[in-house]
Amino acid sequence: MAKILVVDDSSTVRDEVAGFLKNNGMDVATAIDGKDGLVKIKADPGIKLVISDVNMPNMDGLTMVEKIRGELGNASVNVIMLTTESSPSMKERGKAAGIKGWIVKPFKGEAVLESFRKLVA
Amino acid sequence: MTEGLVSKVLVLDGSQVHQDLIKQFCDAHALVPLKVRKNRLMSVLRSNIDLGAIMFAEDYGGSPEESAEIAVRIHTVRPELPIILRRTSEASLDGVSESLRRVCCAAYTAADMAILGKVMDEYIFSLVYPNALVRGISEITESVLSSQFKQLTPRWETPYIVRDRVIFGEVFSLIPLESAWCRGYMMLQTEEQPILDTLNAYAVSNGGASFRTVNNLLGEVTNLIWGAFKNRYVGDQLSASVNQIQVPLIVNHKHKYISFGTENPQLCFLYTLTDENSGNTVRLYQRFIFNLSWSPEDFREIVHDSSELVDSGELELF
Repeated sequence: MAKILVVDDSSTVRDEVAGFLKNNGMDVATAIDGKDGLVKIKADPGIKLVISDVNMPNMDGLTMVEKIRGELGNASVNVIMLTTESSPSMKERGKAAGIKGWIVKPFKGEAVLESFRKLVA
Repeated sequence: MTEGLVSKVLVLDGSQVHQDLIKQFCDAHALVPLKVRKNRLMSVLRSNIDLGAIMFAEDYGGSPEESAEIAVRIHTVRPELPIILRRTSEASLDGVSESLRRVCCAAYTAADMAILGKVMDEYIFSLVYPNALVRGISEITESVLSSQFKQLTPRWETPYIVRDRVIFGEVFSLIPLESAWCRGYMMLQTEEQPILDTLNAYAVSNGGASFRTVNNLLGEVTNLIWGAFKNRYVGDQLSASVNQIQVPLIVNHKHKYISFGTENPQLCFLYTLTDENSGNTVRLYQRFIFNLSWSPEDFREIVHDSSELVDSGELELF
């Protein structure tokens, strides 16, 4: 089964999002920041969708996406940002890095579940 | 003064005539007068965390020496609170004892309360907070609290101005606020046990909540408020200066005291989250301390193009 990686420095958000996805039959892994996320994506080719925060310590979410595409040369994994940020410049940077979508927190699982299913199909 | 903001003042004045006068003055100047019995004064000072000033009658102690001693003790416990002296003779600190003069910031007489108004403006209402900002903060915070504490009902009191530096509860968060019109911090303070009780009552945390669960939850609440604040009031604008000045923050755990290196009054909100089933409540104090820069004349609310708006929680696909 295709796997989803949830990247967030907040354990409250990780638990909420990962718990929701697991309860809906999805295979989920978690990472605590962009650096950790990068390591996990590199190690697990089964990850097909990344749901990531932007503002995180050690490595932010947008830098992580740029490294996924650049350093790892992985153009296939879909990335959705789940963040409190909604500034146009950040979204533009995300688009340029090849992210698939943007969600402004708080997380409302039912509103995005079907889209997530399509992105890991 | 910003419309709708109030401040709490401790009134230490034994004269009934003057108490009535002070009450009228407070009603007219957005002040909430608090009275306390003499034998409870110090314990009230140690437990109240949201005062703006102290109105002190020079005959409060019964004798000049006793009054001075009480004022000095107040100042020792709460040096951040301005002590404003009511005198019978003249609206100045001339002629009072040296120890009393050292701890009082100003004097007034009942015959000229306009002076007291100016003192309050100087010491409490010295910073102007745009009404749209005050209203918006409440809206943002209430929305975030509703999303994070789904089982509780949030309520908030009229926001107020405080000079207190005493920390409420056991756990607090701090996050910098940086924009072209403000630089400072938002601080959230709360008590651990009521949140633990709520988390455990509703089994929100698998395997039982701990202090770390509370920390994480407060962190996420802080993050969500900060993000919404940024989206609504900061946008893409860069902070005004590349030479960003910082000052040390001092936390004294013994005295539960935090200093931001400035005497500026702080904008304070109190939210109460109530469990309607059990009656349990969680109190959360939110303070805004613009200690590094404050230019309310440059404040603006970001207007988004409605055609580009996506609701929070909705996926915007690219």
